[in-house]
Amino acid sequence: MGVSVSLAWRLFRHEARRGELTIILAAIVLSVASVLSLSLFSERLQGALTERSAAFLAADSQLRSRYPIDEVWIEVAQSRQLSTAQQVSTRSMAFGQNEMSLVDLRAVSAEYPLKGEVKVSDAPFGSTYGVDTMPDAGEAWLDSRLFQLLDVSLGDKVELGDGEFTVTRVLAEVPDAGFSVFNTDPIVLINLRDLATTNVTGPGSRVTYKVYFSGQPDKLDTYFEWLAPQLNDELHSWRSVGDDDSPIGRSVETAERYFLLASLLAIVLAAVSIAVAAQRYSQRHFDPVAVMKTLGASQSMIRKIYLLQVMLIALLGIVLGIIIGVVIQQVVVIALAEQVNVSLGVWHWRPVAIAVFTGAVCALLFSLYPLMRLFSVPPLRVLRRDLDSGLRSRTLQFVASGGAVFLLMWAYSRDLSISMILFASGIALVAGLMAVTFGLISVGRKLGSGSMGPWQLAWARIRRRAMDNSVQLISFSITIMLLLVVLVMRNDMVAQWQAQLPAGTPNYFLSNITDTQKDRLSAHFTQQGVGVEDFYPVVRGRFVAVNDEQVNTEITKEEQQGPREGREGLGREANLTWSYTLQKENRIVEGSWQGSEPTQQSDTLHQVSVEKEIAGRLDIGLGDVLTFNIGSEVIQARVTSLREVNWQTMQPNFFFVLEPSAMQAFSPTYITSFHLPAERKAELTALLAPFASVTLFDVDTRINQLRDIVGQVSLAVEFILVLVLAAGSLVLIAQVQASMDERQQELAILRTLGARGSLIRLSVINEFIIIGLVAGFMAAVTNELSLYMLQTQVFQMQASLHLPYWLIAPVVGACVVGVLGALGCWRLLSLNTVQLLRRMV
Amino acid sequence: MIKTQHITKIVTTSEGPLQILQPISFQVKAGESVAIVGASGSGKSTLLGLLAGLDEVSHGEIWLDGEPLHTMGEEARARLRGEKVGFIFQSFMLVQSLTAIENIMLPAEIAGLGDAKGRAGKILEQVGLAHRAHHYPNQLSGGEQQRVAIARAFIGQPRILFADEPTGNLDAANSHKIENLLFRLNREVGTTLVLVTHDEELAQRCDRQLVMQGGKLTEATSRESEKREAS
Repeated sequence: MGVSVSLAWRLFRHEARRGELTIILAAIVLSVASVLSLSLFSERLQGALTERSAAFLAADSQLRSRYPIDEVWIEVAQSRQLSTAQQVSTRSMAFGQNEMSLVDLRAVSAEYPLKGEVKVSDAPFGSTYGVDTMPDAGEAWLDSRLFQLLDVSLGDKVELGDGEFTVTRVLAEVPDAGFSVFNTDPIVLINLRDLATTNVTGPGSRVTYKVYFSGQPDKLDTYFEWLAPQLNDELHSWRSVGDDDSPIGRSVETAERYFLLASLLAIVLAAVSIAVAAQRYSQRHFDPVAVMKTLGASQSMIRKIYLLQVMLIALLGIVLGIIIGVVIQQVVVIALAEQVNVSLGVWHWRPVAIAVFTGAVCALLFSLYPLMRLFSVPPLRVLRRDLDSGLRSRTLQFVASGGAVFLLMWAYSRDLSISMILFASGIALVAGLMAVTFGLISVGRKLGSGSMGPWQLAWARIRRRAMDNSVQLISFSITIMLLLVVLVMRNDMVAQWQAQLPAGTPNYFLSNITDTQKDRLSAHFTQQGVGVEDFYPVVRGRFVAVNDEQVNTEITKEEQQGPREGREGLGREANLTWSYTLQKENRIVEGSWQGSEPTQQSDTLHQVSVEKEIAGRLDIGLGDVLTFNIGSEVIQARVTSLREVNWQTMQPNFFFVLEPSAMQAFSPTYITSFHLPAERKAELTALLAPFASVTLFDVDTRINQLRDIVGQVSLAVEFILVLVLAAGSLVLIAQVQASMDERQQELAILRTLGARGSLIRLSVINEFIIIGLVAGFMAAVTNELSLYMLQTQVFQMQASLHLPYWLIAPVVGACVVGVLGALGCWRLLSLNTVQLLRRMV
Repeated sequence: MIKTQHITKIVTTSEGPLQILQPISFQVKAGESVAIVGASGSGKSTLLGLLAGLDEVSHGEIWLDGEPLHTMGEEARARLRGEKVGFIFQSFMLVQSLTAIENIMLPAEIAGLGDAKGRAGKILEQVGLAHRAHHYPNQLSGGEQQRVAIARAFIGQPRILFADEPTGNLDAANSHKIENLLFRLNREVGTTLVLVTHDEELAQRCDRQLVMQGGKLTEATSRESEKREAS
């Protein structure tokens, strides 16, 4: 053992000093550094984004119930170092001086909210700021809208049930207000201790009890494990940050998947670069191994020497990689600190463990086949230089390296589908490339013959080095494909986010517009330079029966997760609209949309289209007959279609859309929306002054929150993209470098034979251009395949073709690989022939 | 020291098996120097590879210092080489990432001999390269590299030394120096020398010459028989 260790150390020391380990060391450093910086950064960013989404729950987790929540549960949570807060909410009437309005009454404990903040303003619709106190006893904080609806001002009294409260603040925002812009009532916040005085939670009223929890994730998990068996699915629901189905939650989730994807691709990039480097490392050591064997070294001694050496290289690579990775991500975090709230203080060990694991697994498993080849070099090579390794089968290489990549992906992502998609695309790419390479070789057989110009030399070289070139092509193509996937995914994702909220997205909604006000309002707004969107007719109706079976329980969009008691209904009045035109972002999933012609059905019932989710919850199917009470009238309609509605569009959406002929008898009010820039917010009151009866919904805050998060996430995604691009470029450089060394001998011979520098240079550049072109094309094809699978299976996005990249990828591939080849060639040709020949020894 | 009986070598080619050595039998006595000469492709290097235990015979027997090479596996042959055999090659075959002195130490270390560094230093002086001890092979001239290779071959005081075209890569002046060095050390250590060469002058300096032609050992002459004939 002693001899092996001292020899391994000596070889390592000298080779490191002479720069012979640079490529393999750089590959390991690159893999560790990129995986570490990417995963460390994304972990921190995810932490920050999770914190942001926690703000929309007002806690890390929330327990809802229809009945008061057991005090013991709260005490146990507190004893387990979890923070708690409570809220009891119900819908109730609020009475002002002369007006009244239905409100969303929320009685909160002093600890509320545990995450995020409650924002207030000094005047209705005024500029907002956060507060960290809650209403005191006898105080009520009112939503801006209520000041208009109840005709009250700060300091006035309002009645809520049996209690009387002083209006002390304008409530602008609570963190867990929800994202639905409609079907929400203005919020009133009071102190939890005052709730009893209102008597609004008596029998028959619909009350939601919430307890908020926050604390260490593991403590929360163990608490939930303790609590879960005691929960009744019918009565309780538990929500955590991860369950967030809001637009923000979805954006964060998509971003997290993207970070995961980027990190996985970084791992593959690292693997590719290590594979290339390990191959080269092994070839360089064929001679020393043959010499040592000739001089009497046993197999086991050779194995020990080289395994030790690879371990030393891996160790050094991992240590350097960690240092560089930490520095890179620290620089990125500091650069981004202004825009993204990433917690600098928090240190995550998982990325470090993953990076070390990646470095070690890649270094060992990807070196396995090259090392086995090295071990099997026959001693006879000292006499016959053409002998290389006795090991010919590449099965082991494919199994070891393929297995290593798959295991790393799976271990890292803990997501079988994303790992399998990437892995399958990789296999398809390799198989396709093999076929193309050999196709190219047969084409090149003709092109490469004849007089020796630079193109002929290039083709001849490609043909002669078929196997080496196919390996090179595959590694170039994989690298380019991975870069394309990361780039195109980012573009598609950011475009989709931005499409949700294009500039000028309506940020205010108006309802209760009468027929006579409609045109006047439109003209008035236009005169003030504010564009108004389409007007939707609305009639308030009560949904009372399905197939003559009465429904009674209340359910709203916010409360859909509540328990079921018999056949559920909307209870409260719903906004009914009618149209022959399907609204934007609505899609028929069952049945067919009511056409422009009145119904021809024999039963003379009108048609209604129902939103899919509410249909599921209310157990409504196609063909069911729904009954609505509108005023004193009863309307019956048959369900002829179910619609999927994109609730993220911030446009008026409706559970029920009737056929216009059904509603002819009713005089509707209208809903519309408009966009008002933030700087004109102060004009709101003047704008609405002539229309006192019109109700205003302010979704500006929500839109800004959403836009803010999307902006931050996009920025973070941008940085991840830059990191992966940088890593990919380095891998390309390493690959060209490695293949340049392989060409060294040939260049030396050509040079010795008197070939002009320009001929050699051009032939090498042409060879690289051909390889880059083919690699780019293959990358574009497999990129399409991977993206299709990723977008449909993992990101739940609309798959799309990316035709421009079919041109861009080959051109960029040819340029980049050609330029890198030219640089490598230039470096070699700057040596004189003697130096070149000596390097070959 | 070396005894071969009807050794042959058959290799598999794409056109079927090819016999590159016809049955060969001869003996080399201890302390004797033997040159294997012949045209390129005549099978000289193949024979050397077999004698040195770098390759396996297809048929026949080879005994090296009393040990049956033909029955030994690669590991046993490696051990035997480490203990009893030294090598010199046309292309020097120095390990590029080790210095001159480390290259010389290599066989001693592999064989587990004590004070490898001391032995290497001493022999480096004998070949006149003490001042180049810490230079890497690519910092040495061809002649110097071959002197290092000779020093490496002799460090373990081998019983047999195999040399494959030891002067093949050198100019006339260097070739002469190397030959002198080789025969001087060979005498001092009392090694049996088997070398393959094109160089007639070098072959003449050996006790015996074996001539290879088309895979056959067609002729064997020795200085002693020449002397007898002359007298």
